[in-house]
Order: sequence, then structure tokens, then C-alpha cells
Amino acid sequence: MLEDELSVSIREREGVAIIDLIGDVTTFAEEKINSAYAQVTSGGAKRILLNFRQNDYINSAGIAILIGVVTEVNRNNQKLAVSGLSQHFQKIFRMVGLAQYIDIYQDEDEAVKGFATAAA
Amino acid sequence: MSTPAQQPSIELYFPSELGYEKVARDAVAAFARRVGFEQERIEDLKTALGEACINAIEHGNAQAPGLRIAVSCVCEDERLTVEIQDDGLKHYNGHHVPVPIESKLRGLAPLRGMGLMMISALVDEAGFTDSPTGGNVFRLALYRRRPVAAQ
Repeated sequence: MLEDELSVSIREREGVAIIDLIGDVTTFAEEKINSAYAQVTSGGAKRILLNFRQNDYINSAGIAILIGVVTEVNRNNQKLAVSGLSQHFQKIFRMVGLAQYIDIYQDEDEAVKGFATAAA
Repeated sequence: MSTPAQQPSIELYFPSELGYEKVARDAVAAFARRVGFEQERIEDLKTALGEACINAIEHGNAQAPGLRIAVSCVCEDERLTVEIQDDGLKHYNGHHVPVPIESKLRGLAPLRGMGLMMISALVDEAGFTDSPTGGNVFRLALYRRRPVAAQ
């Protein structure tokens, strides 16, 4: 009842693999997030955006999953960014140190532009 | 946690299963809103409380089925105090040195284990306290406005 409240989907925009995350990012999200990451990586993605939306609940177990993704991103020479986080969760990402390894954008448009600027 | 009648307070009990901490977060957030806390502080409280409940479920109650977690919450003037109690199947005092993210990324430390650090950073007071009835009791408190040193 309480364990499956994250919807994950994948799309591509201007050379950026976008993983949309709608819902709770907790320990129950591990399989879905890792599976989405593996899918875009097997498709050759070098620029990946985790696009958060309507995420009222991201806990330390969810953050641990994201740290695991960062580990893989570094290993695979990819670039990772996030968008759509509330001010509160942007603060949490800075607090735990994730912001050192992931570019944080306010929204998807800004993130796609950011990727393009970095590649130019 | 007994409280004088004039102090607003709530108590709730929920199954010791991951996911139910959301019920506690929502209930305590509604209480904090009712007693006039600002949304930014409520967001801090929700995240800290969720982490404390997860610790109680995973560590204090060792994820054993059939147990419950008790949460009590009282507002005294400028201060909101929340206590989270488990059955103490495992004594858990959370004494460990926080591991920097660099160590986690290098595979030198588990990816999990950030809950207490997050709690300490988000609320004004946090720590384990004595329980007359056994079990682990974690208490956290926050003020309507953060003390200047904590901002």
C-alpha cells in the first residue's frame, strides 16, 4: 500500500536523457531508479537529468540511491543534473554533499540549457 | 510524554513498517501548521521526523512485524517537541561518526547512514533520552524561529 508511490519514466530532449521522477524517493525507489539509469546508460546517454516533480518525500534512503547513481555516473564518464526540486530538498542535497557532484537547476528548461552551455 | 492540559499536544501510534512514517510526518505537520509554525520550519520537521521514525522502525524495532511506533508532540509557546519511541528490540543510540559523501562515492562506506546527520542539521535540538518504560526514545525540538547560530 505504502511502498509503491514513485512513477519513473524516460524520455530524450536535445541530447539529454531525462528521467522523470514523480512521487516518493525512498528505499522502495531503488529498483525503479537504478533500472531507469541502466536503461539510459545502455542507450549511450552521456548527459542525464533526474527531473523531480511533485516529490513531497525524499528521505535518506532515497538520497543513498542517488549517491549510488552518482558513483555509476562518475565511473561511466557521464554528466548528471537534477531539476524540479523544492527549495527544501535543494537544501537537503547541499547538506549531504550531493550538490558538489550534481548540478541543480530550477526546472527542466534551465537544465537542458545548462547541459548545452557546458558542452559548448 | 505527559503534558499540562493547556499545552496543545497530539499522540499517535502506527505500525512499525517502512512507509508508515509518512503518516506521522503528515499528522505532525498538520499539528505544527495548526499551532502556527511557518512552512519552512514544517518542511524541516517533516524530514527530521521521517528519519527518526525510520531509525525506530529499522533499528529500535529491528523491522520485526507486529510492533508499533509511538509519536507524541507538544507545543509550548515557541518550542515544538516531538518524541519517537520504539520497543527497543535493539538498543540504538546512534553514536557514530558521520561519513562524508566522498567516502561513500569511493565505496569506503555504506551509502545509507545519513539520517541522524540530517536530523541534527534540520532541527534545533535532537538526541536520545531516557525511557521509563524501556525502548529507545528519540526527542527532537524546534523553535518557531531558528536560533541565529543554527541558520
